[in-house]
Amino acid sequence: MLLEVKNLTKIFTVGFLRRKEIVAVKDVSFNVKESEFVSLVGESGSGKTTTARMILRLLRPTSGSVVFRDRDVWSLRTLNDLRWYWRQVHGIFQDPFASFNPLYKVDRVFYQVFTLLGDNDVDKESLVNEALKEVGLRPEEVLGRYPHELSGGQRQRLMIARCYLLKPKLILADEPISMIDASTRAGILQLFSKLRDEYKTSIIFITHDLGLAYYVSDRVLIMHKGSIVEEGSPEEIMEHPQHPYTKRLREDVPLLYRKWSGF
Amino acid sequence: MSLLEAEHVKAYYRVREGFVKAVDDVSLHLDRGVIMGLAGESGCGKSTLVNTLMLNIRPPLYLIDGRITLDGNLLSKMDKQTLKKKVWGVLVSIVPQSALNALMPTQKIIDLIKDIVHAHTDISDSEIVSMSRRRFEELNLPVEALNMYPHELSGGMRQRAVIAISTLLNPKLLIVDEPTSALDVSTQKQVLKLLVDLRKAKIIESMIFVTHDIAVLRQIADRIAIMYAGKIVESASTDDILYNSKHPYTYGLINAVVTPEPEVRKRGLISIPGEPPNLLKPPSGCRFHPRCPYAMDICRREEPPLVEVGEGWTVACHLVASGRR
Amino acid sequence: MVSQLIRDLLRIKKFDLSVAIFSSILIIGLVGPIVYEVDPVKMIGPPEQPPSEKYPLGTDSYGRDLLAQLLHGIRNSIYIGLTAAAISLAIGVTIGALSGYRGGVADSSLMLITDVVYALPSIMLMMLIAAYLKERNPIFVALVIGVTSWPWVARAVRSQMLSLKSRDFIYMSRMAGLSDIKIIFEDLIPNMASYIFMAFVLLMSGAMIAEAGLSMIGLGVTRGVSLGIILYWAQLLESVRRGIWWWFIPPGACLVALATSLLLLSTALDEYFSPRLRGG
Repeated sequence: MLLEVKNLTKIFTVGFLRRKEIVAVKDVSFNVKESEFVSLVGESGSGKTTTARMILRLLRPTSGSVVFRDRDVWSLRTLNDLRWYWRQVHGIFQDPFASFNPLYKVDRVFYQVFTLLGDNDVDKESLVNEALKEVGLRPEEVLGRYPHELSGGQRQRLMIARCYLLKPKLILADEPISMIDASTRAGILQLFSKLRDEYKTSIIFITHDLGLAYYVSDRVLIMHKGSIVEEGSPEEIMEHPQHPYTKRLREDVPLLYRKWSGF
Repeated sequence: MSLLEAEHVKAYYRVREGFVKAVDDVSLHLDRGVIMGLAGESGCGKSTLVNTLMLNIRPPLYLIDGRITLDGNLLSKMDKQTLKKKVWGVLVSIVPQSALNALMPTQKIIDLIKDIVHAHTDISDSEIVSMSRRRFEELNLPVEALNMYPHELSGGMRQRAVIAISTLLNPKLLIVDEPTSALDVSTQKQVLKLLVDLRKAKIIESMIFVTHDIAVLRQIADRIAIMYAGKIVESASTDDILYNSKHPYTYGLINAVVTPEPEVRKRGLISIPGEPPNLLKPPSGCRFHPRCPYAMDICRREEPPLVEVGEGWTVACHLVASGRR
Repeated sequence: MVSQLIRDLLRIKKFDLSVAIFSSILIIGLVGPIVYEVDPVKMIGPPEQPPSEKYPLGTDSYGRDLLAQLLHGIRNSIYIGLTAAAISLAIGVTIGALSGYRGGVADSSLMLITDVVYALPSIMLMMLIAAYLKERNPIFVALVIGVTSWPWVARAVRSQMLSLKSRDFIYMSRMAGLSDIKIIFEDLIPNMASYIFMAFVLLMSGAMIAEAGLSMIGLGVTRGVSLGIILYWAQLLESVRRGIWWWFIPPGACLVALATSLLLLSTALDEYFSPRLRGG
């Protein structure tokens, strides 16, 4: 097993005098196999982003563990161990503008990750150019520019190009196309599939869009109020949903080729 | 007879570098009793267009040219005072994307309603209260919401309250601008149901629904107009747009929709190469030509005319104009 | 990017005005003592002379030239203001950044220290330190002010840090395996640059006022002059009651102009950098 998430829980405490506990993620467990495309579906506030950050080792869980290749991710301490992890497990976030430090040219996101690759004798420039070509960008149209000079689609492609540079074993993509224009979405989705096909990269695709999850994934996890309420193949989830929440979700998603009754 | 008639409307934003041609020579007509969807990607000018249609414009946006008639009134020649008194809220209302911005946090819903109604007529407060109660009941909204503050309502309830308030004076036309894009699907469905009920109850006559989500339009719209880079490229009945679209962009947009349906899996996801243009300097000729798989020489040189290809079905594409599609 | 920023800033009238006032006084303080070569602490004429051709700003009770004192005073006051602000900023930013970025125990203990310094009346602290030092040159005065006026900076930087560190681009840098120090210096601090600059401007204005305050109670510089020291002597020899206006008005006006121009500058920057305050 590539990744095992065991009883992951995150409780935020807010307030100073009157402390209140908010359970963002409650006892979440699941596994991811090599070159598997798993979707984590939930609406805003369901805890899916918090789960992603805990797996990426960016946010400390209250309890539970994340095990990657038999190593407990949260027991990794040294910078070298952490680099080993982030070399193989990388994230892509929803807002492609917020993913860039606005003060630096976009090139920085590539030259940063060479520390993860560890090899200093490589021709960095040609590796970056190669990665850019993989995601359909011409190096001369993006390199040397500031994030605000590029479109949302270009910025998100740059983020995926960073993954092409690393060729990680697992990518957590948190709503990577929800802020991208409809006409260019499919192109970006294909880049994830290509990574999976060419390098056996597993993908955890986090989305609120059931249609998208149904279309791209091997397995779908439905998350509701911090817990995973249902798990299955896309067909199972769509054709025989078990949990009342999944049933409701399926009924309320607007479809293209079927019209709701009563409208 | 049509309710709204817009001819050759141009609305530009003035910026330091020149003009952003957000709405460039758009003609559109809307019949009574019709729900029209206006679809397009972000930045295509769809929000600007609907705000221009009701003359809700302020600098840096300017109406450069065009004639807009609503229910027999020539809006494009009216001054702001007349618009405020006679048009907005009475003939046409708009519901913005975020209901939170439309509501004053320190004001109860009913007090907001009083303010709005007083701006147009001299009805007494008690009459406004009973009128609002009746309207909320008619639309199956909880009457208690009237005495609550905006923050006490859930997101979906807030959006529905704003819709009910906007239509209190029975405007002929209701414009909704991405009213559900911030809501989860179940709440979205409730809001959409409310919009459909407004027309059923004859509270409004027609509606323009602005969105980037074609699956939502499929559920509620009778007609769909597709906008690209400041222009309407195709306008037809929902079924024709869905199954028989003539413009390559419409076709591309439909094929980019993902819904959990076997048909979608079968056809796959097809993306349009390239990105929408910068409206500060749009491409020459047909604005879609740099991304169009069928682009011909003429597409680069000349703007395609809007051609009627069927009953209430117009397309702006050289392929169609020259009879090749 | 930088030239665009300067061009945008120059379009703000408040910014132009404040920079004009501050820089003209600064230039007077820098160039003045070189052009007007009169020793400010030497008796050069009869006492308490009103302004005349020979003594452009008159003389004080000891027959010292007041223009020379003013020019040197401006120079020293600005010097003390700059140094004190730099010291406060260095302490405040370091503590605030560490506390906000690290969190946990480090945060709690650093904030405890901050609160203690915050809670102590800083004038008391200044008096204690200043009284202990028998001989006080400008750098000591700057140090005394600097080490007592950083707590609000630390608190402000910490809260900025807390909001910045959960931004996606910080996660991106962390996932690239950058060390914490690198992230603080490459990602976090540069994004607070405008904020830190504003804090510096406010600290400097506060430090110049604090210098005057210390001087007025007799704990200012013991060697040389500053605006505060001129005012201290003027007050000591009852210049106001005796109508020797040329003694206290010029230094007082300069101090007010310096402090006000800096406050104005910080509001101009605040308006520019936080868009919600921008009208329209």
